[in-house]
Amino acid sequence: MAYNNGQEPDLGTEIQKRLEAVFSNPKGLLYFLAVIIVVSGLYSSFYTIQPDEEGVVLRFGRYHATTQPGLHFKLPFGIDRTTKVKTKLILQEEFGFRTRSVTGKRTSYKEGGFSEESLMLTGDLNVADVEWITQFQISEPQKYLFNIRDPEQNIRDISEAMMRRVVGDRLVNDVLTVGRTEIAAEAKKLIQETLDSYEMGVRIVSIKLQDVNPPEPVKPSFNKVNEAKQEQEQAINQAEKYYNQIIPEARGKADQKIAEAQGFAAAILNRAKGDANRFEEMLTSYQKAPRITKDRMYIETLEKVLNRLDTVTVVDPEVEGLLPVFGGLKNETK
Amino acid sequence: MRQNKQSLAITGAVALIALLVLITSATYVVPEGRQVVITQFGKPVRSINDAGLHFKLPFIQEVRRIDLRILSWDGYPNQIPTKDKKYIEVDTTARWKIVDPLKFIQTVQNERGARSRLDAILDGVTRDVISANNLVEAVRNSNTILEVIEKRKKEVEEAESQAAKTVKVGTVPAIQEEVSGEVEPIEIGRERLSSMIIESAEKELLPLGIDLIDVQLKRISYENSVQEKVYGRMISERERIAEKILSYGKGEQAKIRGETDKDLKSIQSKAYRRVQEIKGRAEAEAINIYAKALRKEPGFYRFARTLEAYEKALPKNSRLLLSSKSRFWDVLKNGDAR
Repeated sequence: MAYNNGQEPDLGTEIQKRLEAVFSNPKGLLYFLAVIIVVSGLYSSFYTIQPDEEGVVLRFGRYHATTQPGLHFKLPFGIDRTTKVKTKLILQEEFGFRTRSVTGKRTSYKEGGFSEESLMLTGDLNVADVEWITQFQISEPQKYLFNIRDPEQNIRDISEAMMRRVVGDRLVNDVLTVGRTEIAAEAKKLIQETLDSYEMGVRIVSIKLQDVNPPEPVKPSFNKVNEAKQEQEQAINQAEKYYNQIIPEARGKADQKIAEAQGFAAAILNRAKGDANRFEEMLTSYQKAPRITKDRMYIETLEKVLNRLDTVTVVDPEVEGLLPVFGGLKNETK
Repeated sequence: MRQNKQSLAITGAVALIALLVLITSATYVVPEGRQVVITQFGKPVRSINDAGLHFKLPFIQEVRRIDLRILSWDGYPNQIPTKDKKYIEVDTTARWKIVDPLKFIQTVQNERGARSRLDAILDGVTRDVISANNLVEAVRNSNTILEVIEKRKKEVEEAESQAAKTVKVGTVPAIQEEVSGEVEPIEIGRERLSSMIIESAEKELLPLGIDLIDVQLKRISYENSVQEKVYGRMISERERIAEKILSYGKGEQAKIRGETDKDLKSIQSKAYRRVQEIKGRAEAEAINIYAKALRKEPGFYRFARTLEAYEKALPKNSRLLLSSKSRFWDVLKNGDAR
């Protein structure tokens, strides 16, 4: 051999010699077998249950116990057999899409090709594309293992059937908009009830609706309705803006006019009252000496008036002639 | 001596092996989730579904293991015309269980045999049930949708009539989408259809030792050519709704504009009326006040007011023609006022 430089004993031949010694002796052979049996018996008589698992122990094929995480002993040589079930793990089934990878920061999804899972008829015989996930947990491992074959497939089938039943009782509009949480809750209830009827030992953790869309060819027309709603609101808002621009101002102006009228009213009333009072005062004094007061007032007024004028022409009606008018006051005596 | 010992050892070993073979042949294990049928020279004699270690006659009896668990059956998607002549694809799934293993192995032998029988029976029954009913019966499970539609319709009507009545700005309700699609009441419903399928298939499956637990209508979809038409209908429906919403918006807009003009005119004319009323009332009162005071001595008022008017009416720097007969000149002419 490559390592053998002739000085040290050959390890291979050494072992060979020993083995030959053991097997040439029938007793040695028995011992050897006994050792193997004991070692393998010991090795197969304990097992470990991981923290997210539970172990189901069968003794001669019959259910014996369910064991919790930790180190456990069992009868060797296949008398006890354990099956480990991930009971703490939340498992997930996807409908209408598949998670492609969760490496990196972003989870990537595969969308196309699963539309037969997600296209469903709504109660008004329209079609909606509903993608969702069903999350479940194995609550009773014994039932999960022994009551039903291929539980995952059954969970998928029942999820699809129940989701379609729930969606089938709703209007396409409700499915696409307001009905999401209700649909998820009702589907969860129905799926759980159905799985319970099989005693499957599964607890539905949650149903989560993902993308809920109209089918691809119909999408643009659904968008059109949304746009129309926006436009409708915009039109109404514009009109309301116009209203709000005009009406409050007009109200203010109207109030202004009314206030002005009220001012006018107060003014003429006060004037009337003032005039009346003045007249009454004057009248009282006048009545004491009416004639002379009248004369005085007449003369005083004329004096004031004439004083203001440029020219005063006095005409004598008894004078005959073409022009009984003269330039100044001085020429006018008769 | 040594030979004796050796033959003894060999005999012992052979006996041991024979014993082991005997034990293995006389015992068997029924695991959880399985049942067994014991056959004697190929003839089934009994079945056991109790998990654990059991004994049988060695060599002459054989053990056949059969599943005790619930098994599932997945049908091929079938194209079935409904009673109302709609072509749909129906994909069903069922759960079943072998309840009489003796009958089971006698009639269908194994699961493969059972599956082909299930295919034939369930496909046929499903086809019968689906084609005897309208499409909606397979889609919907209840008539709650009709109540929803009624409610929705009422809401839309209310909103529309509300919009027609109150044009109070700021409270104009945006119109909602109306209910669309064909909605007719159902009589049976999805779940009942499933149980009808179960009922008629059950009878045929029981003689095979099979219990049918449930049948679910997993997928119901339009056949491709129908699907196109349905999409076309959905599109035209959406467009109709969009148009309605749009025109409603425009109508509301016009209404609000009209309302604006109406309010404007009403505000302006009301203000005018109010102004006139205020002024008129004030003037009337002023007249009363004057009349009340002046009635006491109308002659003096006329005199005094005329004088005042002269003073005010004659402007500065103007000419005045005055008759010499005016009383003002009396003194000038006669030297005496009287």
